Amino acid sequence: MLRAAVSQTLETLCEIELPTGDAVAVARRRFVGGDGPHVVIIAGLRGDTPEGTRVVHTVGRHLASVASLLRGTVDLYPCVNPLAAHQGARNWPGFDVDLNRRFPGRSDGHAPDQVAAALFAALRPATQIVELRSAHPAFRQCPQARVRADRPVAIELAAQSNVRCVWRYAAAPAAGSLDDVFPDLIGLEGGSGNRLTEGVGLELADGVLNLLAVLGALPEDQLPFHWAAIQRPVSVDDDGIFDVRTTRGGLFLPTLGVWAEVEAGAVLGEVIEPISGEVREELRAPISGRLLAQREEPVVYPGNLVARMVAS
Amino acid sequence: MSAFFRLESPYRGEYVLHRLTFGSGDPVVSIVAGVHGNEVNGVCALNLVAGVLRLQRARGTIHILPCVNVFGAEEARKRWPFDDRDLNDAFPGDPDGSPVDRIADAVLRATDGPLCIDIQTGSATVHEAPHVRVPLSGAAQELGRAAGLPVMWRRPTARFDEGLVGAWRAAGRAALVLRGGRGGSLDLDDARTLARALVRVLVEGGFLQTPEPAVPTMVTTEVREYRSSLGGFFVPEVRPGDRVVTRQLLGQLRAPLGGEPLEDLHALAPGIVLAVRVYPMVYARELVVRVAESVG
Repeated sequence: MLRAAVSQTLETLCEIELPTGDAVAVARRRFVGGDGPHVVIIAGLRGDTPEGTRVVHTVGRHLASVASLLRGTVDLYPCVNPLAAHQGARNWPGFDVDLNRRFPGRSDGHAPDQVAAALFAALRPATQIVELRSAHPAFRQCPQARVRADRPVAIELAAQSNVRCVWRYAAAPAAGSLDDVFPDLIGLEGGSGNRLTEGVGLELADGVLNLLAVLGALPEDQLPFHWAAIQRPVSVDDDGIFDVRTTRGGLFLPTLGVWAEVEAGAVLGEVIEPISGEVREELRAPISGRLLAQREEPVVYPGNLVARMVAS
Repeated sequence: MSAFFRLESPYRGEYVLHRLTFGSGDPVVSIVAGVHGNEVNGVCALNLVAGVLRLQRARGTIHILPCVNVFGAEEARKRWPFDDRDLNDAFPGDPDGSPVDRIADAVLRATDGPLCIDIQTGSATVHEAPHVRVPLSGAAQELGRAAGLPVMWRRPTARFDEGLVGAWRAAGRAALVLRGGRGGSLDLDDARTLARALVRVLVEGGFLQTPEPAVPTMVTTEVREYRSSLGGFFVPEVRPGDRVVTRQLLGQLRAPLGGEPLEDLHALAPGIVLAVRVYPMVYARELVVRVAESVG
């Protein structure tokens, strides 16, 4: 096999000077292997998503071990909101700004806008962007991909990302989010916010590596698993997703785990009065299907999401 | 005062959205404060206005929601404390959604009528002079001018498409923003100024008869932002509401450790200081002063 000249670099995309003179850098690990696609894997837009950072490093270790065989350019961004990650916080500290609402950013704006502008410029040439996320810290989710319903190529790719479910969403993304400015983006998420979840990181890392193989950046025979091991996900539109919400406040006590197979009408959990223990409400499955996400933080108000099901 | 909406809470008394109503019949105006829990200047201003309305008979109906995010206000927090969501991002809301979605829906239903006013405060790090913000066109223009505050900032209409004001506008209501002070602390002078401005708006709208003297208003679309070119410790030399002249020193950036001067910021044109950074630690390119300038 002809081996292209390959370079691996750890680069600083931008550096933010802090008021006291310290500085914080947004770093990128770049693998360049000659002609081929330009793929971006980005994690840590929010500071409470360490699972994504773990996945990026797992992918990076494998790419480094097969670097001479890579084609194209693979950019790995392990954590683009480092100050927030330092605190385990969702938003950029001090400004209390959600970096994932600031795109395309402003190079002459405040620190979060500068980072958003630098990322926007760096990501524009990419053939494919994969964003790694986590669930909200109150929830646990099984590995899933989210793609815009009007992007057939991204949907086809997402099905190769070793997730249990591909959610083709029709609603317009939040203004200023990464999928707002890059509509072909594939969002991979799973596990829980601010935590590492056993198994999830490995599943998503395998999914990212498989995507790199499908896109032509990584030879298929260099995958650390056989391609046939990749999961075949359930693929649904918004109509195939069902949210279960409380009507009472109290403590939500779940009875099942994520990805459990559930019959319509089965009890998913109950809301109890937190002091007396009296059962205020039973939450039941609206359909037969699987539990895509489940609330783990038990305190709930009326209207809180406690489970999300997918028809299967 | 009536309880317009209630929401069961897990460990404490229920959340209640209170609405004060003065008068009856048409016309109808709704005034809201405290969508962000730490914006207490608006709460104080509306309580002052309520005091005026207890002494004078209103024509038409005046609804006042003095503090929407009461749980946040109790903890000096901008957002809804339970899940840290910004209530203002939840509009137009959802009666079957999560708590902030339900509260947003209730606020929208509680503020019916053709004219709606949102009282806001600057962030916790910036002190803003009391001023009016209106879109470039629409029914709010004349009422905004009637507020009689030193500055009326006419901004691109897209700036008013989101949050509570965006939801009002989407429902076909005229929406006005009165804004002043800083989040997390009460400035009684700002609160009184905002209350007097609200009374003037109510007089202009035909709800009250009491005339209130107003200061000349600068109506402008031109607001210049002054940003630090370095990170450091910003010491302001002006206050919100000050009139400044060209080349006047607006503030100085110093080294946080040692105090050596790093940068002087001077006014590039005359105007009225609209906002001043009051928390001194600043990043490079951060907004430190905002000055409203005359058009032309």
